[in-house]
Amino acid sequence: MELFRALAVLAEPPMEEAARVADALGLGPVPDSSAYTELFIFQLYPYASVYLGAEGMIGGEARELVAGFWRALGQKPAAEADHLSVMLALYARLAELEEDESDAQRREGWRAARKAFLWEHLLSWLPAYLSKISDIAPPFYKSWSEILLDALFAEAVAVGKQEQLSLHLREDYGLIDPRAASAGDFLQSLLAPARCGMILVRSDLSRAAETLKLGLRLGERKFVLKSMLGQDAEGTLEWLAREADVWANRHRLGREFLGETARVWENRAHASAALLRELKQAAQEVSAS
Amino acid sequence: MKMKLEELNKRVSAARAETEARGETFYPGPSRIHLAAFPPKERWDDWVELESKSWPKREERRYMLVPTTCFNCESACGLLAYIDKESLQVRKFEGNPEHPGSRGRNCAKGPATLNQITDPDRILYPLKRAGKRGEGKWERVSWNEALDDIAARIRKAITEKRQNEVMYHVGRPGEDGFTERILAAWGVDGHNSHTNVCSSSSRAGYQYWLGMDRPSPDHSNAKVILLISSHLEAGHYFNPHAQRVIDGKAAGAKLIVFDTRLSHTATHADFWLAPYPGSEAAIVLSIANYLIQNNLYNREFVRRWWNWEEFLAVENPELPTDFATFEQVLKNLYRSYTFENAEKESGVAASVIEEVAKLVATAGTRLSTHNWRSASSGNSGGWQVARTLFMLNSLMGAVATEGGVFPNAWNKFVPKPIYTPPHPPVWNELTWPTEYPLGMNELSFLLPHFLKDGRGRLEVYFTRVYNPVWTNPDGFSWIEALNDESKIGCYVALTPTWNETSYFADYILPMGHGSERHDLHSYETHDAQWIGFRQPVLREARERMGEKITDTREVNPGEVWEENEFWMELTWRIDPDGSLGIRQYVESKERPGERLGVDEYYGYIFENSVPGLKERAEKEELTPLEFMRRYGAFEIQKKVGAIYEELVPQDELEDIREDRFGRVYTKTPKPASTNIVPIASPDPDEEGRRLVGIKVDEKILRGFPTPSGRLEFYSSTLAEWGWHEYAIPTYIKSHIHPENLDEDQTVLISTFRLPTQIHTRSANAKWLDEISHTNPLWIHPTHAARLEVRTGELVRVETEIGYFVVKAWVTEGIRPGIVACSHHMGRWKLADAGQRQLMATVSLAHTEDQWGLKRERGVGPYQSSDPDTQKIWWTDVGVHQNLTFPVHPDPVSGMHCWHQAVRVNKAAPTDAAGDISVDTHKAHEVYQKWLRQTRPADKYSPNNTRRPYWLMRPLKPAREVFRLPDSQELVGVE
Repeated sequence: MELFRALAVLAEPPMEEAARVADALGLGPVPDSSAYTELFIFQLYPYASVYLGAEGMIGGEARELVAGFWRALGQKPAAEADHLSVMLALYARLAELEEDESDAQRREGWRAARKAFLWEHLLSWLPAYLSKISDIAPPFYKSWSEILLDALFAEAVAVGKQEQLSLHLREDYGLIDPRAASAGDFLQSLLAPARCGMILVRSDLSRAAETLKLGLRLGERKFVLKSMLGQDAEGTLEWLAREADVWANRHRLGREFLGETARVWENRAHASAALLRELKQAAQEVSAS
Repeated sequence: MKMKLEELNKRVSAARAETEARGETFYPGPSRIHLAAFPPKERWDDWVELESKSWPKREERRYMLVPTTCFNCESACGLLAYIDKESLQVRKFEGNPEHPGSRGRNCAKGPATLNQITDPDRILYPLKRAGKRGEGKWERVSWNEALDDIAARIRKAITEKRQNEVMYHVGRPGEDGFTERILAAWGVDGHNSHTNVCSSSSRAGYQYWLGMDRPSPDHSNAKVILLISSHLEAGHYFNPHAQRVIDGKAAGAKLIVFDTRLSHTATHADFWLAPYPGSEAAIVLSIANYLIQNNLYNREFVRRWWNWEEFLAVENPELPTDFATFEQVLKNLYRSYTFENAEKESGVAASVIEEVAKLVATAGTRLSTHNWRSASSGNSGGWQVARTLFMLNSLMGAVATEGGVFPNAWNKFVPKPIYTPPHPPVWNELTWPTEYPLGMNELSFLLPHFLKDGRGRLEVYFTRVYNPVWTNPDGFSWIEALNDESKIGCYVALTPTWNETSYFADYILPMGHGSERHDLHSYETHDAQWIGFRQPVLREARERMGEKITDTREVNPGEVWEENEFWMELTWRIDPDGSLGIRQYVESKERPGERLGVDEYYGYIFENSVPGLKERAEKEELTPLEFMRRYGAFEIQKKVGAIYEELVPQDELEDIREDRFGRVYTKTPKPASTNIVPIASPDPDEEGRRLVGIKVDEKILRGFPTPSGRLEFYSSTLAEWGWHEYAIPTYIKSHIHPENLDEDQTVLISTFRLPTQIHTRSANAKWLDEISHTNPLWIHPTHAARLEVRTGELVRVETEIGYFVVKAWVTEGIRPGIVACSHHMGRWKLADAGQRQLMATVSLAHTEDQWGLKRERGVGPYQSSDPDTQKIWWTDVGVHQNLTFPVHPDPVSGMHCWHQAVRVNKAAPTDAAGDISVDTHKAHEVYQKWLRQTRPADKYSPNNTRRPYWLMRPLKPAREVFRLPDSQELVGVE
């Protein structure tokens, strides 16, 4: 399980020791801290709670669920239990404990913990997250994400299929309909992957603005989206719906390994695409009248 | 793919094994990801945050983040100032993740810097006394007027050979030697520190062992941590150490805490021992004895590194000089320090001490111990507390090992500056009197008594970050001295805020807080070497925006200055034409004939004296100065390791001589080093060769900067200078030992600090004041029941020279029978001028030697530029207990022994909270009584000098003036 621990190190800000780890993985020179910052601090925050929580933010109930896993093991949770590095290191440790255990019953116990952690807290979000990394990251992190994804899938095979859907994914919060709530809530829910089934990062919005020939206002993502909708509501909604289609397809491809987990993500992306088109239709009708 | 993953797994495992076989780290230590929340440094020039005051509107504000270091204790943790790019005001301070000591974390005092710089009561302009001293009348003066007057007085004193009439008295230095070099440039022995009311006792304990006077414990990697301190909440270097103690605990270390009070630190301990105050060394020695008698110590380490051969040769010449003999002698020496005897002294059960001893024995070389003030500073003979504590490390071999204790100088880097003036050719008897040849630091707190005795006078007396009337014991004697113009000609208070001493000043010169000044420092927070750079953050922000700032007053509020520029300007004015040879030390090398500026001063240091900085800066296309201004800190080396075990290189071994104890002396001059960290300087041999190392098992190793070159279990210095009975670590019964108390007396512990206050500069730090604003007397319920006192009721605490009246706090968090009252509180002002958030308004009554202080009113809401001052809800600000303490100079270390023998009774009906009464005549008698316990150099010096030359001393004068005054003039040897 050295591999997971090594991959975990590379999800932390680059430090001297990372060079040896990267070298062992054949990844080449470690990017400087600005590349790390661009990817992990400005685009894809490496926290499970961002992708699994209803708020799309760091912390909250999703983080508590991860911390709860530590507590169930009788451990004090790490300060940021849902950070990708911490989670991978914990997974590596669980696998080691299982491997080192001579008592068959206790070994079985560690195996169960390992399997539960994998399906409950890693495979519930990482395939989507890593595919996004693969889309936008520089070559070093792209290769890193591919190794990690392969390793996770290999683990899924090794520990066996999931028995029940991750607790994180059981409640379907859904994309918020602005006609029933506020526009602000709608925008926030577009930025909460667990609701909308897709991951929208800053670079996506730049891409959208370029495609739609809209002015890209600088600011937080919600502000950018609001400004794009203000400039061209129909175009922006259609772009978002297509993006949801892309995500639905992407999730579908994961069914082989991920089963129900992939289906839940796919359904959420489909539902989002449908609502976004409905909103586009409504916007067209308003502008026509 | 499966194969590929397995292959990768194997490759990682192999790389790990190979790296770890070299003793290096493959995986970084405990995850640093919690720092991911900090703004990435790439964005520090333009950082966007939502304006909290606009909530719920999401309004973005743009900041420039500029680093500096905190000045609210000596730890100098990293701060990041968030400077609003629109208003150019600092909006908040947070931690600097680039700082190796604090790693982005701060205590409450760091962010409270904002309160200090926006304090509505702060002093913004130079002030000159307009009435009589202490009358409270002031007029605003220009910096030029003040500088010219002070410079002329100093110049006159120097030219008339009255150098000893110039004195600079510092509380918190916050820098590494800048001001000492200014005084050296003037050729005066005028440095006076607060250290003898603070840490010199502990320093003595460490220095006798190591030749270096501070410990640098590696708590993070320890197996057992033993604190005779409350380092999870206070003390140096509390925040950097506290986080590492917690790292250690998280990794499984056991924590042992000795504290008579239930401190916050004690609440985190696996073993909390609450001993009778002053008995700590007896407990520690019983642990040492357990290790010795059961052969549980690191015998190989002791054989190699203790100066046992010297001990046997000098003290037991009749015995064979072999290690087995020494071990037997050692067993005999410490045999009486049993757990039962320790229980008798401390009141802690022998079974508990035994359990602790067994735990210590499991630590191996991962024993991290720490004592800084606490028991050392409370008790006469307290220096043996630190000495016996370090004995545990010396027994276990936990010296400069991972998880052990390092000497500070190896974990510290003081870069060589542009100029290093020579040692002053004078000796100042007011600070280094003959009675205390082994005093670790200046006998600062005896100054009023020395002046009263007619031992000298002062023409110019500076205080800086210091408030002796309030901080020192016996404050009324200070007021008497300060009010006497025949004793102190001109008193200059360098302070950004009003304080109890500044009321008696002739000049008050406002100096900047932590974000308004330059300083450079390096502290032993862990096994590494780093430098931290304090800077005026608005200066840096405005320079980044294209302005050129040449004087920090241009960016500071009002006419607040900084000390670097002030001292350089004052020095220039003392010797404007260079005829005294002083000006050269503040003259620009880039622009001869002009005064040195801070950019050139620090630019030189960063360019020439900090290994690796230039290369690191180049990577970011910055100059070293720009790099330090941008990041605020630089780590020079990680994991310095055991320097004493390093081989001395062959090229340092020219014409060597080895003595019978293996000391190796060389003719090779000391190689130039850019690290000028102070350490002791052992004497050369008779032919002038310097001590270069120690022969251990046929190899010449670096060893320690002690006279023996080894760890000094046996101190020939103590033996030869009149204190033979303390030549090895022993237990000295304190002045507050039960044998020294009357039946109705108990012990008052007065030294502990509040985690959320600063000595004297936080009186208007509103966030801190709201948390901590009073200091009731801790008293155990059984004790309170005897006195029939409940929480909130008044008690009168009688000392040897007077009494104070204080509210009781009945708590089980203190050893029954002992009482405690915290430092930091009882601040007062005589009239309106002062810090109105934490200073009560008082009246002073004075007849002959009788002094009284009465609280007229507490604090309350008031109108100011800060609307929050209208919300002050507290009124009681505690009692100024230190006024009622006489001086207790330890006869060996010179440290003031803070613990007090007191009588505690229910207050009289006429008593009011905060009342003080003191007899300064009695105070002088107590001073004389303690002075009689000394063994002065003129009677005990083995070589007709004032002090062992090898011992460290701030601003060490020229070697010639170490000779006792009967052989040369006091004022100089030119």
